[in-house]
Amino acid sequence: MIAVEHLVKRYGTFTAVDDVSLEVEPGQIHGFLGPNGAGKTTTIRMIAGLLKPTAGRILVNGHDLALEPERAKASLGFIPDRPFIYEKLTAGEFLRFHAGLYGLDESLVAGRVTEMLDLFELGRWQHELVESFSHGMKQRLVMAAAFMHRPRAVLVDEPMVGLDPRGARLIKDVFRTMAGRGVAVLMSTHTLEVAQEMCDRISIILKGKIIAHGTVGELRALAGDPDQHLTEIFLRLTGGSGLQEIDEVL
Amino acid sequence: MTYPFPYLLRPSIWAARNRARRREAGDTTRGLFFGAIGATVFGAILYGAFWVTTQLADYAEFGDYLLRLGLSWLFLTFLSFLAFSAVVTALSTFFLSEDLRLLLAAPVAARRVFHARFLRTVAQSSWMVVVFIVPLLIGIGLGHCAPGGFYLVAPLAVLPFVVIPVAIGSAVTLLLVNIFPARRARDILMLMGLLFAGSLIVLLRMIQPEQLLRVESLPDVTDFFATLQSPITPLLPSFWAAESLFASLQGHVDWLHMAALWTSALGLTVLVAAANERWHFLGFSKAQEARKTRFTRLELLESVARRLPLSPVSRHLLIKDLKLFLRDVSQWSQLLLLLALVLVYLYNFRVLDLERIPYMSGMIKNVYAFVNLAMAGLVMSTVCARFVFPAVSAEGAAFWIIRTAPIALSRFLWSKFWMGLLPVFLLTEGLTVAANHFLGIDPFLRIVAAVTVLLMSLAMVGLATGLGARYPRFNADNPSQVAGSYGGVAFMIAAVLYTIVVIVLIGWPSSAVLWYRFSRVPMSIATRAQVVGSFTAAAAVSLGLCAYGMRSGVAALDEMGK
Repeated sequence: MIAVEHLVKRYGTFTAVDDVSLEVEPGQIHGFLGPNGAGKTTTIRMIAGLLKPTAGRILVNGHDLALEPERAKASLGFIPDRPFIYEKLTAGEFLRFHAGLYGLDESLVAGRVTEMLDLFELGRWQHELVESFSHGMKQRLVMAAAFMHRPRAVLVDEPMVGLDPRGARLIKDVFRTMAGRGVAVLMSTHTLEVAQEMCDRISIILKGKIIAHGTVGELRALAGDPDQHLTEIFLRLTGGSGLQEIDEVL
Repeated sequence: MTYPFPYLLRPSIWAARNRARRREAGDTTRGLFFGAIGATVFGAILYGAFWVTTQLADYAEFGDYLLRLGLSWLFLTFLSFLAFSAVVTALSTFFLSEDLRLLLAAPVAARRVFHARFLRTVAQSSWMVVVFIVPLLIGIGLGHCAPGGFYLVAPLAVLPFVVIPVAIGSAVTLLLVNIFPARRARDILMLMGLLFAGSLIVLLRMIQPEQLLRVESLPDVTDFFATLQSPITPLLPSFWAAESLFASLQGHVDWLHMAALWTSALGLTVLVAAANERWHFLGFSKAQEARKTRFTRLELLESVARRLPLSPVSRHLLIKDLKLFLRDVSQWSQLLLLLALVLVYLYNFRVLDLERIPYMSGMIKNVYAFVNLAMAGLVMSTVCARFVFPAVSAEGAAFWIIRTAPIALSRFLWSKFWMGLLPVFLLTEGLTVAANHFLGIDPFLRIVAAVTVLLMSLAMVGLATGLGARYPRFNADNPSQVAGSYGGVAFMIAAVLYTIVVIVLIGWPSSAVLWYRFSRVPMSIATRAQVVGSFTAAAAVSLGLCAYGMRSGVAALDEMGK
């Protein structure tokens, strides 16, 4: 379970995240949408423990991130938008190192590494240096690392960027299976079709504030058109498409 | 299960092993080249330390006194270097390193991260000093016929000696990152660079080495040593390390100073670990903020560029390159260090009272014109390797913009050439002219040296630009990595060989002209022809190298898409 209570992040006089509260229940996939610069990544990085909030509280599986950071992080899987991977390590070495960071029993690591590499279709690349991987392969490797320790909550920032249709399908299946097993997934994405297809609940953030949240149906009702596609709802809630201006400029 | 902190160093160890297993083209050449340089430097330091120590041994107690003083000063110099290096390294290892995002998102205790990072900072900031200290202490030990205990005490004194400045540097970094707006974290590097350069010059002013030359006056020598002693306070770890080593040279163990070294090192490490646990996350969190670019407007630069007789394309390329350079503080700080070294070099000539040194008077001092020329060549090859050679690679992932734009690649490369030529020429010409002026070199040689520097600048910048285009590394993290690549090493070898050839080609006819002039013997026509031929050959080699480098670079860029 991921619970965020009145989260605030200020940079000097600029408020990047303004009193954000949300809750992701076990087994739920929660979409976190918003235009560029709305505060999605800042919120996610605070939940991951990479940024110190100015105010507010973050609970991961019942552990307060500020008071019990190690316990909170141990039960969380984090997939950042721009992941860091040691380029000169092989895929297998990277996963083994990751397993050690999360305190996995050494006798179980080798089997788990093979399992995860096979699941993410990287098995035959186990002994290849990460520097030779394509963007999509790196993305899948990071996901394999995030699921290595069987987290009970997962935090994903832009999961579909750079993935081919097969990779995207695989990731969707993995998330659905994880959620089916009671894992709470908080997913930030720009791909609204993915959000519509996968998410049980959605929160939309604009200029640091949550402006809408609920199921896709509830958001449709909020936008005043029960038949509309999520893209239209998103554009209406976040300030129009700008198509008129495009037409004028071009 | 929780692994101890060295587990966090595994990626570096595995990466090093993988690098060693998967060799790249040019690794052997690079290894041999750097290995040979390393062995030569190691041998030279060892022999130099041995020679000085044996010479000092001839003066019995006075020699011992000088050795003791020398050790203190040497360690004080190392201390200042380590303190600066530790701040710069700690900023990177504790706050800016990319893998921190991976480690801090994992359930790893802050103390474990600190210990791993601290060990890495110690290793990264002190390896150069240690590599220098090892042959130095072996040389001193051999020269002084030191007992076996000296070789045991040496590592036991050096280890806490390098830990202390790193602990202090890490604490200073922690403080700076928490106090200064974090978006200016990298700017702190520039500030530190300036402080280091300034302190170097002040240090030299304090020592006043020129006083050593006044050997005819004993009170002056006494004053000189008094000056040397003044900053050596028993409160500094450099003093403790030097005293410990000096005692072990005499066959004793200086428990007091060894204890001071170890207790300070351990105490400071514990204190910094505690401070780090309390304030590191806050500092790291601030360092994640988007970094505000410095020099964002640069209107003066644009207005100057508009007045230059350049085509719009060349002007825009020039403005883009200048802006990128000015906004990258890591480039600045390295240039500042280089400038500090050049200033120190010039300062030495400025304060020397050459008339008092018999062997420096007369014609022989003109030989120093060629020493200056060699020095200029060395500075030039270093600057070219570090700043000009990586110019094409610096385009990085953005090189597609140039390749898809309607610009001839030759024009792009020539823009890089001119962009590199001007600063390289001005820096080395200034260095040569000033040094020759301070030394009172013959006017003829001054002109020859000035022209030679122009030719050398053309050759080296042309070669560096061209080879940089032939051997680009668009995926390199920083320009230093590009400079250390196969092409960078090849350039350095070529640049050093070229400098030797040019100095030979210029040196012989110049000394011939001076010899005939001073001995008042008319020069034969054959000799004149040889002199002119030699100067012409130097010019031809230089211009030829420039043309070859640039043609080769343009051809390589044209080939890139095929």
